[in-house]
Order: sequence, then structure tokens, then C-alpha cells
Amino acid sequence: MQTKLKSTFKNTFKTLYMIAPMLLAVIGLIGLFKTFITPEMLHTLFNGSVLHDMLVGIGLGGVSVGQPFLSYIIGGELLDEGASFYGVTAFILAFVTLGVVQLPMEFSIFGFRFAFLRNLLSLLFSFFLSWAISFTLGVLS
Amino acid sequence: MKNNKSGLIMLGIVIVLYVVLFSVKPDKVFDALGESLGVLKMIIPILLIVFFLMALLNTFIDEKAISKHLGEQSGLKGWLLSLVGGILSHGPGYVWYPLIQNLREQGARDGLVIAFIYARAIKIPWLPLMVTYFGMTFTLVYTFYVVLGAYLQGMIVNMFDNKEKNL
Repeated sequence: MQTKLKSTFKNTFKTLYMIAPMLLAVIGLIGLFKTFITPEMLHTLFNGSVLHDMLVGIGLGGVSVGQPFLSYIIGGELLDEGASFYGVTAFILAFVTLGVVQLPMEFSIFGFRFAFLRNLLSLLFSFFLSWAISFTLGVLS
Repeated sequence: MKNNKSGLIMLGIVIVLYVVLFSVKPDKVFDALGESLGVLKMIIPILLIVFFLMALLNTFIDEKAISKHLGEQSGLKGWLLSLVGGILSHGPGYVWYPLIQNLREQGARDGLVIAFIYARAIKIPWLPLMVTYFGMTFTLVYTFYVVLGAYLQGMIVNMFDNKEKNL
């Protein structure tokens, strides 16, 4: 058991050592995004039309980084300023399920096929689900 | 897991980006560094938990158990485990990637892994905030569709895998 424990910890540290540069790179990029891209910049891109707002929402959500609650706050402000529910829902979904900044890390850890499939599905489902959520809300209200 | 060459290249690019931006807007670059340090501080405890879990998993749970609970024959239990696990897991997704890859290498099904990752779109600690901003109905509808979406994505990936195996 002790030998197994030892080799397990050795492997765990090896994994940590392997991912450390990529992890630091992603964290460095997150810092740059948070500083240089402001919520005001995001506001200016929505115009209220369903398809346009959905596309913009997914694009912005996919490149934005930060804690999930940020997407709720920004989403709430966008709604107040006239963006459609479709666009805001797409933004929130893409914010938490897509990450352009962490893509290189995802590809290097999981390999091309899995990472590509996962991101493609997340992208498509941001469309489907934001439409389904907004449609359901419309019916319910 | 592949070697860390791509990580080093990526880190190099980010460092160059910082140096270039520093020559244009030094103040903002310091702000960005501060933000990055904040993120690092936030993820270190989560990272420790993830690596501890990984070590535990490797020591006490063997490949047989993983393929039983998350593999081909895991059935409904496998779906429940991955969906509930995804909803409960904390922190940024990339912190979980090494652990997830570990599970895949030991026989966890890709469809279940995809479902786990997508179910992470539900963030239990932040749900009250979502209710405040968008209302209870939105939050319930959103949660329902994310779980459904995670399940459907997992099914699609499993279907692909089955097709490939049958070729």
C-alpha cells in the first residue's frame, strides 16, 4: 500500500508539473482579459434582434473569462439595456461552457478529438438551449 | 497526457504579450498581473483538492471500479454520477481537466465525461444570484435545460463511439 501511495503521489506531482506552464499561461491571459475588456465594451455589441444577439452572446461568452457570477451581473445589465433574453441566455451559457482562453490547455490534456467534439457540442447547445430556454419562458409567461 | 511543450510555448506567448502591452500601457499591465495573482490565489485551494482527489482515486479505486461505475456498462448510475458530480464540482473547469483525463484513461466513457463537464454550467453557490437577476422561473428552466443538454450531449458522444466501434 505504501509503495502504491508513493507512486501515486509521484504521478500526481508529475501531472501538476506537466500542466503548470499551461495553467500559468491561462491565468495570465485571464488577467489581461479582465483588465482590457470591460462590461461597457460588451454592452455596445447587442442590438435586440434574436439571431444577432444570440450570435454576439455566444461569441462574447466564449471569449470572456471570470467567475460565473460575472456573467449573471453582465447579463442582467444587458437585459436592462435592451438585449433580448435569447442573447443574454446564450451569453451566460457560452460564458460557463466555452473558453477560448483555455482551449490550448484543453487540447493538450484531452487530445484533439475529444476537445474538438466537446467544444463543438457546447457551441451548438448554446444555440439550442438559449432558444429553448427563452421560448419556454415566453410560453410560461 | 502529452508533454508540456505546448504549455511552455503558450506561456512564452503570454509573457511576450505582457511585455508588449507593458510598453504601451504599463499601469494596466500591473492591474492584469494583480488580477492573475487573484485568480491564482483563488484556484490554489481548489487545485489542491482536485490533486488530492486524484491521488485518492488512484490509490483506492482501480480501473475495474471506474469502468464499472463510469464505463460501458455503468447504465443509469453512471449518468447520475456524472450529472450530479458535474453540478456539485467547484472552481474553474480547467482545474478539473487532469482529473477528468485520468478517469478517461482508466476507462470512463467519453459521453459521461462530456455530460459531467456540461453539467458544470449549473453553479449551485451562484443560483441565488441568478434568481435575483433573472427570477425563479428562469433559474428553474435554465437548470432543467442544462441537465437535459448535458444528457443529450453525452448520448450523442456515446452514439459516435458506438458507431466507431462497429466500423
